[in-house]
Amino acid sequence: MKTSLAPATRAARVLASIVLLATLAVTGAFGAEPITNERLLAAQTDSENWLMYGKGYSAWRYSELADIDTSNVKNLTPQWIFQNGVEGKGQTTPLVNDGLMYVTGPKNHAWALDLLTGRPTWHYSSTVPKEARGCCGQPNRGFAALGDRLFKVNYEGTLVALDRKTGEPLWETFLADYKMGFSATGAPLLVKNMVVVGIAGAEFGTRDFLDAYDMETGKQVWRFWTIPEPGDPGGDTWGKDKKDNKDNWKRGGGSTWTTGTYDPELNLIYWGTGNPGPDMDGDVRPGDNLYTCSIIALDADTGELKWHYQFTPHDVHDWDAVADPVLVDLTIEGKPVKAVIQANRNGFFYALDRTNGKFLFARAYTEVDWADGIGMDGRPILIPGKEPTEDGNKACPGLGGGHNWHPTAYSPQTGLYYFDSTNGCQLFYKTKQGFVEGQWYQASTTDRITSEPSSSSIIAVDPTTGETKWNFELIGGSASGLLATAGGLVFGGDGEGNFMAIDAKAGKPIWRFQTGGSVRGAPISYRFRGKQYIAIAAGSALLTFALPE
Amino acid sequence: MGPRNGPPSEEFRVTVKVLKTAVRMLPAVLAIVPLLCIAQQERANPLHGDAEAAEAGRGVFRIRCRPCHGIDAKGGRGPDLTTGNYLSGNRDEDLFGVIADGVSGSDMAAYKERMPEETIWSIISYIRMKADGGEVPITGDSATGEKLFWEKARCGGCHRIDGRGGRLGPDLSTVGRARSVSHLRESMTDPNADFTRGYQTLTVVTLDGGKIEGIEKNHDNFSAQLMDAQENFHSYLSSEVRSIKREVRSLMPAYGGSLSEREIDDLLAYLVSLGR
Repeated sequence: MKTSLAPATRAARVLASIVLLATLAVTGAFGAEPITNERLLAAQTDSENWLMYGKGYSAWRYSELADIDTSNVKNLTPQWIFQNGVEGKGQTTPLVNDGLMYVTGPKNHAWALDLLTGRPTWHYSSTVPKEARGCCGQPNRGFAALGDRLFKVNYEGTLVALDRKTGEPLWETFLADYKMGFSATGAPLLVKNMVVVGIAGAEFGTRDFLDAYDMETGKQVWRFWTIPEPGDPGGDTWGKDKKDNKDNWKRGGGSTWTTGTYDPELNLIYWGTGNPGPDMDGDVRPGDNLYTCSIIALDADTGELKWHYQFTPHDVHDWDAVADPVLVDLTIEGKPVKAVIQANRNGFFYALDRTNGKFLFARAYTEVDWADGIGMDGRPILIPGKEPTEDGNKACPGLGGGHNWHPTAYSPQTGLYYFDSTNGCQLFYKTKQGFVEGQWYQASTTDRITSEPSSSSIIAVDPTTGETKWNFELIGGSASGLLATAGGLVFGGDGEGNFMAIDAKAGKPIWRFQTGGSVRGAPISYRFRGKQYIAIAAGSALLTFALPE
Repeated sequence: MGPRNGPPSEEFRVTVKVLKTAVRMLPAVLAIVPLLCIAQQERANPLHGDAEAAEAGRGVFRIRCRPCHGIDAKGGRGPDLTTGNYLSGNRDEDLFGVIADGVSGSDMAAYKERMPEETIWSIISYIRMKADGGEVPITGDSATGEKLFWEKARCGGCHRIDGRGGRLGPDLSTVGRARSVSHLRESMTDPNADFTRGYQTLTVVTLDGGKIEGIEKNHDNFSAQLMDAQENFHSYLSSEVRSIKREVRSLMPAYGGSLSEREIDDLLAYLVSLGR
């Protein structure tokens, strides 16, 4: 089911775009159009720009631009390439507004780029403290924007507001102590003048949270702890008695390291949470371990928990639930439902009722050997003997899933949901490990199975049934984030540097370009000077593509 | 030089001044020497004999070190750490240096930026606990092994040592310090068990039915590049060939059948000596 703006609103936006284009043609000026809450609410259908991480609050990552389509995409050519010179693989989703592109990079770097030439108009950087040794590199996944401000996290666990025209820091707020193992890498979400932002740290035995900050002052508006205290609702899921539950909740993890979504009608923020700590030794945390490996739905104004759904109770395989919680109105078994969907790292695709968190259905999209499906009560039907052991125990999917965190795409044109997946199994080890603040607390590790190499693919699923419609196997390693367009295309890349356009219905690649760097970012589309562009971060570069004149 | 009965030269005055200063400072210098000795002793593992630290080190070891040294530290792609004898020295500070700074010419990375000193010492405590001195004995003759390498076994057709030999397989110039003894033996008798990444086999069948087999250099959905046994490079677009097949196997033959056990031992002795 397609969501669209009222015709009057759409006409107003088209008129505004025409006026803006006319102004540009006369003056050459750009970067002036303010980003308002109204524009953020309509961001999904603002085809000229890309105003937030998931394109719109529902995280469809779908562009209504159709100038580039299945018939002419073979002519797509590079327009400019920006080399940022920073070591590390770009994982960002750029933002575009009124002639400028805002790009974050690894290690606390960021730039504003001129859409005409790719030349930077400013560069922001901040030194990462040497002692910041958080999990998994030092990437950054993007900006949020409102008014004349941009918002991003810095790796060591701060949230910074930048002047959109100069890149100058306006305020910087402490989120959490990197010396305890915290780090920040996700793009914030702007909701009602609040910057909503998550944190990582579960591999270090931290207790994690989701925060909201006032966009003007940087002061905290609310905090939701993803691990409840004993005595609070959910606090009894960390051990049956006080002895078991003495301190393990303080080390319970539940990271919020990617970006959530927002339903303005329900006034609910949806956010995915990560694994419990320690990752693979579940003995020290008996119980379901709420609210790890869950989607939490919070009141946007207060941060109060309205409902939660836990995909993997008492997870011992590091199956974070941090994939995009995509909001889409579906017709399931003849009934309309406001759904939130997720391709979970545990190998199942899920649809939930986003008004109340009720489980609708789940279906495996890759090899799964730990559960014989998901029961109608929403709990997995466990297959015994799949827990990690001292000597290593096989489980499928592996630690990274299934689908991990890469941004996904939903096309109202095809009605399909697109995401990447790693398909295969791993050996999971468990080790008794004492907790030391600031130290890895994974207890313990995984290993590949030499005789069973894993594979990767881009998958299209019918979100009303969970049925896999096509599966395009990637020979060159795991995929990037994805973009769907009204041109009948899905754009994405692979670890070998290929950036490609895939027929959204058939699942066949029909154009590709070797970027020279592993493609780990997520593509976007926008219109500049009347022409549709596609942009993607690859390696240390940002590339743009368009059809020739 | 100036006359010897004249006033002392500037150079002379400076020399005397330096000597006087040195004499004045001698007691202080002598007092520092024991301190230096103590500092030297402080490089010993401060967590030595600490069972809790060893247990903590075990936890870190299984996360960080297991991929190369094996889940029980008995070696794999990296050396066996349970022998008590280490190529870079057997003192605590030698082990600390290896973990902190890595080993040039091997896959051993530097960890000083990734973990605090205390964690490194806890790993060393664990390694000491595991070390039982049961080093795998090398019974073969290295000189005979070297002759086998270049002649009967023809290993040099594909492998290179100090600039001599083929380029199809991995360079083995320092393989003795980079791999465990058991891994080297397994690599000769069962090359597919755990071969070096980047050396899998690729087979291309061209449109006219020609078959080219070699070591994969790149392979994705759109193209493949490989080196054949004659060290020729080939590059193909997927759309211009009949098929491209990747196999998780090595082109190297298993030598268990073509060489005697004694010859395998000799070859092993030669490989173990490389880079030491």
